[in-house]
Amino acid sequence: MSHPATPASTPARNKRHGATRRAAAARRLRTSVTTVGAVAGLSLLAACSGVTYAETTVPVSPTTTAASKPPATPVSCDNATQSYDPLPSIPASASISDTTMKKIIARGYVTVGVSADTYLFAARNPLNGKIEGFDIDIAKAVATSIFGDPNKVQLRVITAADRIPLLEKRSVDMVVRNMSMTCDRWNDIAFSAEYYRSGQTVLVAKPAGATKVDTTLQQLTGKKVCAPTGTSSLDKLRSVKGPIAVTAPNHTGCLVLFQQGDADAITGDDTVLAGLAAQDPYTIVSSAPLITQEPYGIGVNKEDRYFASYLNTVLAQVKSDGEWKSIYNRWLAKPLGPAPSPPKPVYGRR
Amino acid sequence: MTSAPTTNIPVAIPAGQRSPEQPQPANTIAGSLSGIPGARTVANRLLHGTPGRMRLFGLLAVVAALVLGLVSVTALLASQNAVERAANNTSQVVLAQSLHVDLLRADAIATNAFLVGGLEPPASRQAYESAMASVARGIAQGAAAQPADAEALGLLSTQVQQYAALVEQARTNNRSGLPLGAQYLKQASAGLRSDAIPTVSAVVSANEQRAQAEFDRSNSSLQLAFGVLALIVLIAVAVWLARRTHRYVNVSLTAGIVLLLVGLVVASVTIGSISQATKQVSTGAYRQAVALADVRTYANDARANESLTLIARGSGQANQDAWTNASDQVEKILRDNRLGSLESQWTAYAKSHAAIRTLDDGGNWDKAVAEATKSSAGSASAQFTAFDTSVTQARDDASGSAVQQLRSLGGSAPWFALAIGLGTLVACWLVIRGIGKRIEEYR
Repeated sequence: MSHPATPASTPARNKRHGATRRAAAARRLRTSVTTVGAVAGLSLLAACSGVTYAETTVPVSPTTTAASKPPATPVSCDNATQSYDPLPSIPASASISDTTMKKIIARGYVTVGVSADTYLFAARNPLNGKIEGFDIDIAKAVATSIFGDPNKVQLRVITAADRIPLLEKRSVDMVVRNMSMTCDRWNDIAFSAEYYRSGQTVLVAKPAGATKVDTTLQQLTGKKVCAPTGTSSLDKLRSVKGPIAVTAPNHTGCLVLFQQGDADAITGDDTVLAGLAAQDPYTIVSSAPLITQEPYGIGVNKEDRYFASYLNTVLAQVKSDGEWKSIYNRWLAKPLGPAPSPPKPVYGRR
Repeated sequence: MTSAPTTNIPVAIPAGQRSPEQPQPANTIAGSLSGIPGARTVANRLLHGTPGRMRLFGLLAVVAALVLGLVSVTALLASQNAVERAANNTSQVVLAQSLHVDLLRADAIATNAFLVGGLEPPASRQAYESAMASVARGIAQGAAAQPADAEALGLLSTQVQQYAALVEQARTNNRSGLPLGAQYLKQASAGLRSDAIPTVSAVVSANEQRAQAEFDRSNSSLQLAFGVLALIVLIAVAVWLARRTHRYVNVSLTAGIVLLLVGLVVASVTIGSISQATKQVSTGAYRQAVALADVRTYANDARANESLTLIARGSGQANQDAWTNASDQVEKILRDNRLGSLESQWTAYAKSHAAIRTLDDGGNWDKAVAEATKSSAGSASAQFTAFDTSVTQARDDASGSAVQQLRSLGGSAPWFALAIGLGTLVACWLVIRGIGKRIEEYR
């Protein structure tokens, strides 16, 4: 306040006027005070009690990007089915000196990598919880040969992609999991002789009233075709121009995608696809000529040549004594017809 | 100054008498009223000289008094509101964590039922359904209780529906004896862990943060600093008035200031005690409740992973690692919170789990499954249930006590606020009266 304190009016000039003035001033003071007070109060209250929380933020799950690995360049060879010579006869357990087999015998059971969802080959039966199928019976035949007891097997459920790494790490003694013998795989592991011959084809939605379709992979241009990761079926699918490859951990996973509309077709071995078609009456396996020939062998560690020879001896026996046929008929006769003659083994690998 | 005075107010000096050469200070309020004939003179008269300054300072004092009173009142109410919101957020944290546990429990039950093979026992079907029902209820309750969670819980609801639909498909296929059922279950379980669990975790942590923010907000004494500022202004006015008039005792003004000071002290003491008590809850019962809820979540995660390890049948190392991780967390939290009796219950279950693992790793998968799924006394299942029941009980006690303690705090705050508000009005009247008296005397 800089202006001089000179009284502009003498205090006692007009008492009455002064009183009126004071009353008016007080009234004005009160009005303005009330206004200011109300405004300040309201804004303070608003500032202090009006807490609004930010929306709860939810983590965004990364969208699964389709693995776009380029197809592996296949190693070519002309002896993919050739395995080691069999032993002259099944040796007595006590006389075996091979380290791998001695370990298995000492342990008391053989560990086998298998599938649990390849219907008819190796699938868990929901009614009793047991894994059963063609592959399992082959594994049991091996156990019977070594221990004289088909139940001396420890089944370990593995995915197709696990097969080679687990054999390399010796986490399982052998893999009986509809595994195709290929030149590529011979670089990493060893195989027994061929115990089943399959071939790749496709499974599609069944057109109303159809009993037979001849769809091929090439005809599925622009369609989403599912194959399990780590399989030769996927490699083949990726080498064909046109279809869009989608993957699942296993064939049953492909069927789930198919049922949910995320896949238009499934490619795989005819036997596996027959198992899928048996679980979904709205699907049909194509009758077109097989895209590939898929010889199944029992996978073992690359070093286990003696074990492979032993397995070849067991397989030869199983094929010759009619057990192979009875196993085939038990699982596959219904969808595929009566057992053909077992695949011929090729030996002589060095 | 909001309203310009009108000309019908009698003034001491007629407008015409003002000499034009008299310098008109530009920095007075009167300067702004120059457009209105007469108003300028009125303002000039009112604010001129010592009485004018007294009026100005009087107005300042009243504003300061109002600010002081308002600050006390709002600080009190803010404190009380914060405590109330802290209680609500605590309830929401517990609710969201229960959702998390119920989802894990439902998944563990569904997984176990598939493990056994054959048709699921009606008891496990019922347990699954009751867990899912409490999830559905919890989502609705949570969305109603905290609008900020509504969107996240809406998403969770969708994810839970997807999960439930997949489990039903799994069940249907299972019933037809098809391996496809197990695949649907796997997909359901994986989807639950990749989508629904992260969503519910986000809801839990958002509410933990909200509760913590309110615990911090319950101490609103920072606002009182403004009150102190206003008090200084009031005292300065009183001092100025005393110096100017050489009359040191102004009963009304002093009484007004003392009244306001008392209000400020009452407010700060009440706020102090509220925030002290809140701090005790936040480091006591609340912390305990959150810790126990975490224990329950980890424990149920471990139990679900035990089943998943067996389902994977030899390829379940990742699930067993998850079990170990969850178990370590359970033990750590129990140890940190000195919950010895719960710890020994957990150790009993962990021993049974180790026995199951030994069987499975030794090639006895069937026996391992039998051990894992039987529910007789002393089995892993019974031990786990005992532990889970104890933890849930302890958590409910802790969270109930936290919420109840918080709700009982600050109950008297509105009454104090009302008293301080009325006191402020009285104080304003006293201030006006005290200064008015001096203005009158000055004349």
